Amino acid sequence: MNFPVTDTSHTLAEYRTRFGYQALEKALSMAPGDVTKEVAGAGLLGHGGAAFPAGRKWGVVKLDDGEPHYVCMNADEGEPGTFKDRWLMECVPHMSLEGLIIGSYALQGRHAFIYIRGEFDLAHRRMADAIEEAYTAGLLGENILGTGYSLDVVLYRGAGSYVCGEASAMLASLEGKKGWPRNRPPRLTVKGLYQKPTVVNNVETLANVPVILRLGAAEFKKTGTPKSPGTQMISISGHIAKPGVYEIEYGYSWEKFIYEDCGGMQNGKALKCIIPGGVSTKLLSASEIAGVTLDHNSAVAAGSQVGSGGMIAIAEGTCMVRLAAVIQRFYHHESCGQCTPCRQGMGWMERILNRIVAGGGRPEDIDQLYKIGEANDGTTICSLGDSAGYACSAILDHYRDEFEYYIQNGRSMYDGNLTVEDPFADSPFANSLAGAAS
Amino acid sequence: MSEITVAPVAAKKLLDFAIDGVAMQAEDGQTVIQAARANGVDIPHFCWHPQLSVPGNCRICMVEIEQDSGDPWFDIACNMPVTAGMRVLTKSEKIKTLNQDTMQFITLNHPVDCGVCNKSGECLLQDYHYELNGAASKSRDPKTHATKFFPLSDRIILDNERCIMCTLCVRFTNEVSGSKALGAVHRGDHALIRPAEDADFNLDVYSDNVIDLCPVGALLSTELMTHARVWYLQATKSVCPGCERGCSIDVWHRKHEWKLNALDPQLNTTIDRVTPHDNPEVNGLWVCNKARDLAQLFERPRAEQAMQHGAPVELAVAIAAAAQLIAAAKKPVAMVSSWGSNEELAACHAAFGTKVSGFVKADHLPRPGEVIEDHLLIKPDKNPNRKAALALYPALPERVSDALPADTDVVLVWGEGFDSALVPSGAKVIRLDSYTHAANATADVFIPISVQTERSGHYTNFAGVVTPFEACFPVKPSIVHAATLFAALSTGSDA
Repeated sequence: MNFPVTDTSHTLAEYRTRFGYQALEKALSMAPGDVTKEVAGAGLLGHGGAAFPAGRKWGVVKLDDGEPHYVCMNADEGEPGTFKDRWLMECVPHMSLEGLIIGSYALQGRHAFIYIRGEFDLAHRRMADAIEEAYTAGLLGENILGTGYSLDVVLYRGAGSYVCGEASAMLASLEGKKGWPRNRPPRLTVKGLYQKPTVVNNVETLANVPVILRLGAAEFKKTGTPKSPGTQMISISGHIAKPGVYEIEYGYSWEKFIYEDCGGMQNGKALKCIIPGGVSTKLLSASEIAGVTLDHNSAVAAGSQVGSGGMIAIAEGTCMVRLAAVIQRFYHHESCGQCTPCRQGMGWMERILNRIVAGGGRPEDIDQLYKIGEANDGTTICSLGDSAGYACSAILDHYRDEFEYYIQNGRSMYDGNLTVEDPFADSPFANSLAGAAS
Repeated sequence: MSEITVAPVAAKKLLDFAIDGVAMQAEDGQTVIQAARANGVDIPHFCWHPQLSVPGNCRICMVEIEQDSGDPWFDIACNMPVTAGMRVLTKSEKIKTLNQDTMQFITLNHPVDCGVCNKSGECLLQDYHYELNGAASKSRDPKTHATKFFPLSDRIILDNERCIMCTLCVRFTNEVSGSKALGAVHRGDHALIRPAEDADFNLDVYSDNVIDLCPVGALLSTELMTHARVWYLQATKSVCPGCERGCSIDVWHRKHEWKLNALDPQLNTTIDRVTPHDNPEVNGLWVCNKARDLAQLFERPRAEQAMQHGAPVELAVAIAAAAQLIAAAKKPVAMVSSWGSNEELAACHAAFGTKVSGFVKADHLPRPGEVIEDHLLIKPDKNPNRKAALALYPALPERVSDALPADTDVVLVWGEGFDSALVPSGAKVIRLDSYTHAANATADVFIPISVQTERSGHYTNFAGVVTPFEACFPVKPSIVHAATLFAALSTGSDA
């Protein structure tokens, strides 16, 4: 993607100047199975966090099973630190929409769904406008571009649940039920939305589809690494000098990205650690990212994941005990309450961490936190339960000494060590923000 | 009945698999927990139920699957289909740890107030705590608090602190009773079972089944609440007389060795509660609320004194008088009860032969507001044994005078539901009844008879299924069993 973001860059007219919907025309001229083959051939990996090959997911759905098929765009981007999908939907909604139409054509779906996070306002409006524009231009609805293929898109707003970003919970929510994940088997590609074969893809994954179709799988594979072809949108936040959304090629040096592209840490502070892809991925200390490249194999070898690309840079001087408590408060609040280990474990961990932060920690608390995390690993319905445990245990692995210090002394090792510039100091709304905070 | 009857199983492919090293066979498509139960292995479970959908949310049925190479696989037994050659471990060290962890989670915010909990003694959580956990809570932090005594309906109260969110009750109302009256609100450890906004749990005539389903003491009957501890009670197999379905039930009453001497002795012969007794042919695992309320039916004021023209007499005197009336009658007619057991009906038929012409009456008609018929169990005829009675006698015609011509001289009324005003003037009336009615005193002879809970017998339901019931309580000496009475009134005997 290379274009200036302006007030009108999200419109259909401008999208057309950037090869917009050319891939759709090409796809509609191909057999549906060939579209899937092209995407599978490109080795496109899911960008939602699990990095499951998108082409293989599509390939599971049998075109001749006589059942309706559904493609759902997962735009319920809720992983803390992740905001790449929001940017995509605000700036280039047509790109993922085109991918959604191509995906639906490949699976011969008559209806497609976009499940968008309820808190997204501009992204929702832009996506709704994009759908309107597409209908008007004959890119959606009956007989798309005169090819005889018809597709309707339903834009559905979530009601504010992190778990609804999990595919099966999202489908339950789409059906009007409580957003609770469901056990596998059966897989969603066998029994998904309304018990019919369903493919759920992330916004960014679908945004890659038009590119693959337009360039061809072979050309697409030239970017990135052999195992992780293409690019990854990284949304970086935290104590970083230049936070924002970046698109990097897989295989890009992690250190170069942090220290050169993002300008290093704020105020020239040292980097303490990085949460690589949303808080559910295990954090890596500053030394651990040395020599690591930003692609799936390299990140896994380093002991973490690329995840959803929601990177959080944490500066030296940050109290990791409080960080863990904040993260755990999130998981406690967002645990859906369906299965036992996550429902009870998240609250338990938060209570222990809060007690430590309040100065009432006990030496055995650290082992208990590990134990709760382990008891969640692999025992929950959805993978959010597992990863909620990882987040805390990864912090414990790296910074056990901070916890021990906090428990022993009833106060943080880093009290008063971290001064961060007021990020809104230069904002014209600085005064009103200060007033609102007080 | 499709919800309950087990579909005839076509010869399914059998798969060889093993649980804890014991070779077993499972039908293709069975989950591990189903196959294990079919082979007599009980895998612990809270949220799983043989007749409800599988939410897999309690995670206590976790089992280990040995792999030929690589790490073993862990999954819940309730949702995992058996595959050929599968090697399941239910008691491995890792599973023991996982079970203990899960029990720690489940008891984390559970109040463990067994001492004052009505479920105590028949609580799965108690059983599994001793079986799988056995350790005190590892938590040193305060428990979360939630609503106590939340009224779900007039019959059921909910203790949210005891609730373990297995959602059995929610699924029951969605999948079996169809009322869709319950749901879960909020998330995480704040999640609560609550009535649906657009439904009324009071209207669910199967609501009390959720009390039995609840694996812990979260759903409580307002009737049994603080009324009896279950270890003082025993269950006697019986049949619900509420309608012609004839559901198999367990009638719970005080154990013989736990008689209350200090309290009202009446409490020793009262029904404490009624629960369904699994009978796949008739009712499966459920009964409706009418069965739960049988105490109200059986514990109406009892008629315990034989009478002649309203004046108390000895039982033997009344029987002799009745026998004399029948023996002397030229045209006696019997109003046969549709609440009599098969044995009593046979005794009646044997005693009177063709001398007394009999007609089967409906002892009970649907009460105002009562559900006449529904998709699950409730049938329109509110009498338990009309089918068997009709095999011996014709039904009472709609115009009662057709059955009672003017020259009728003796009318024997057995059971309730017959107005003496319909009897032709001049005819003598013999009444056999268990309950106090004004008509008892106006009869020429009144003889008190036993109720279902005081005798054993069989009922034949609408579909012809014969189900036995047993006596729960002793019968008082002033009351006679109908079968004994008919033998005494036999027209063959000299009275």
